[in-house]
Amino acid sequence: MVDNPLWVALIVGGVLMFVTLTGMAYMTWFERKVLARFQDRLGPTRTGPFGLMQPLADAVKLLGKEDLVPAAADRVVFLLAPIVIFVTAIVGVSVIPFGGAISIFGFELNLFAADVNVGALVILALGSVGVYGIVLGAFASANRFSLLGGLRAAAQVISYEVVLGLSLVGIFMLAGSLSLREILVAQQDDLIFNLFGLSISLPNWYILSQPIAFVVYLIAAVAETNRAPFDLPEAESELVAGFHTEYSGFRFSLYFLGEYINMIVISLFASTLFLGGTDGPGAASVWGLGVVYLLAKTVMFLFFYLWLRATLPRFRFDQLMGIAWKVLLPVALLNILFTAFVRLIANDEITIPAWVWIVAAVVLAGVLVLTSLNDRANRPRPSAQAGD
Amino acid sequence: MEWASVAFYLIATVCVLSAAGVVIARSAVHSAIFLILCFLNIAATFVMLGAEFLAVVQVIVYTGAILVLVLFVLMLVDEDQLPDFHTGQPIQRISGLILGLILLLEIGAAITARSIQGATGGATPENVAAVGGNTQALGRVLYDDNLLAFIVVSLVLTVAVIGAIVLALPDRRVGINQRRGTGTINLGHPVGTDGIPLALPAVRGESPIAAATPGDLRPVAGERQIIMVRDPDAYTEVGQHDAAPDNRPLIKR
Repeated sequence: MVDNPLWVALIVGGVLMFVTLTGMAYMTWFERKVLARFQDRLGPTRTGPFGLMQPLADAVKLLGKEDLVPAAADRVVFLLAPIVIFVTAIVGVSVIPFGGAISIFGFELNLFAADVNVGALVILALGSVGVYGIVLGAFASANRFSLLGGLRAAAQVISYEVVLGLSLVGIFMLAGSLSLREILVAQQDDLIFNLFGLSISLPNWYILSQPIAFVVYLIAAVAETNRAPFDLPEAESELVAGFHTEYSGFRFSLYFLGEYINMIVISLFASTLFLGGTDGPGAASVWGLGVVYLLAKTVMFLFFYLWLRATLPRFRFDQLMGIAWKVLLPVALLNILFTAFVRLIANDEITIPAWVWIVAAVVLAGVLVLTSLNDRANRPRPSAQAGD
Repeated sequence: MEWASVAFYLIATVCVLSAAGVVIARSAVHSAIFLILCFLNIAATFVMLGAEFLAVVQVIVYTGAILVLVLFVLMLVDEDQLPDFHTGQPIQRISGLILGLILLLEIGAAITARSIQGATGGATPENVAAVGGNTQALGRVLYDDNLLAFIVVSLVLTVAVIGAIVLALPDRRVGINQRRGTGTINLGHPVGTDGIPLALPAVRGESPIAAATPGDLRPVAGERQIIMVRDPDAYTEVGQHDAAPDNRPLIKR
């Protein structure tokens, strides 16, 4: 573990928090601009150049609104719940490594607030605690729509938490560590292929060795942050506004900000795990280029979020849960199995005789044929459906 | 006093107070919230002991999954229907008090005497650092030294999960009958009856619908008649739909 002294960690953490909050504010601007482009509009243009002052105007508006508490609400829980989601969201930034040691004004300091040796799990744990903000707020509102939204959020986040965690196990196996800094360092090696005498050298980013995990992670991350097309807990066409129906003013904005910070943290996390984080051409030699690379990758993920929102219709809730348990979970488990297998063979820790390969291939083919036949047999006939 | 001690006493105080809150709180949801707080503080204690992995697992498993499920159930249940936890008989209160005091004395004796300490295990700080940290050390103990026990435990848990699913499965036949009875208007005609008969499902409780005798014809507005039945299948022409051959449409149109 590499550590900063406590006061340095506090300063770095404070700067990171400030940067994240600013980034979150401009994330709302970015979302409005991008969505507007998707819909052939201009988005905010009046407040400052390109509408850049829009987040400020929004903040003033939200702060000026009345903070209502419903008469039937569980008052203390109602007031505390939005703070939970906001705090858990922003703490996640503290374990993201923005780079190694640099020197500013003669001080040596590391560009992360804390190098926890289970950093990746810390982010997962914060996500699972953050759901209490939604569930408790929904419960305390004493409103049926809020309650339904809270129930959906609880079920959704528990399910996708499992998928999200399992999709990362392959990376942990390859890197041999749960520390985000060590995962970052492991990705700075070169991945060398020898194809037909040609030696191709690629960066050892885990998107190349774990492509299936990457896709599973992307889907699960969207569901984990309650974003479209998985924003069932706040589906406005069914549940008014879902879990935050009764919230107004600054407490509503805490939910709102929490969601955006969650998106940023999950995107930073994804860039660090799959896209090499601060790694890139020239990142080691040029001062500050690593951070630029990391932020560029993060913005790419954020754009992907917005792209999804502008493109896809909302899922039905049973479909959402079905994807998690019936598709993503088995795929993630198979990915773990496969990764472990390949790693054992690549490290020459086991050697497998030829007949095992043949038996395995036959069994696999048999299973595939049987499942496809079974699917065909289970498909409902048109005549049986007519009566329903 | 060192900063570590100050932090420990803060964490311990909040932990004990929230544990007391779990018992004292009147609302079940408030108890659950106190339990969350207690678990988070226990995780913080683990961090102070240098067991970061255990702390994070504690948060993910207990706080993040199990207590969310507890809240999930509590939110679905009407609080008035929960048993009241605070109106025990005097005998219950006295026996509870005595048992609690005995437990407290036992724990106190164990702490002060320190005679219940077991033998020191192999997980000394040097050994843990040699394999690369407590996560790796825990992995070695779980998946190398105690692999068989680990697999047996996972099998037992899998059996428990399958058992829970089997218990929760609805009776298929009853399910179909209820869905047809409650979800749709039954279009079946009792033979020889004019008007539009409306078959209603058997309803539990004291509702007037359930009290009506089967086949009871009631005049509604105009000349229409509504027919009260306990079993929708008794008045359908097709008969028992789930006994019908698969290729036949369930309801004639």
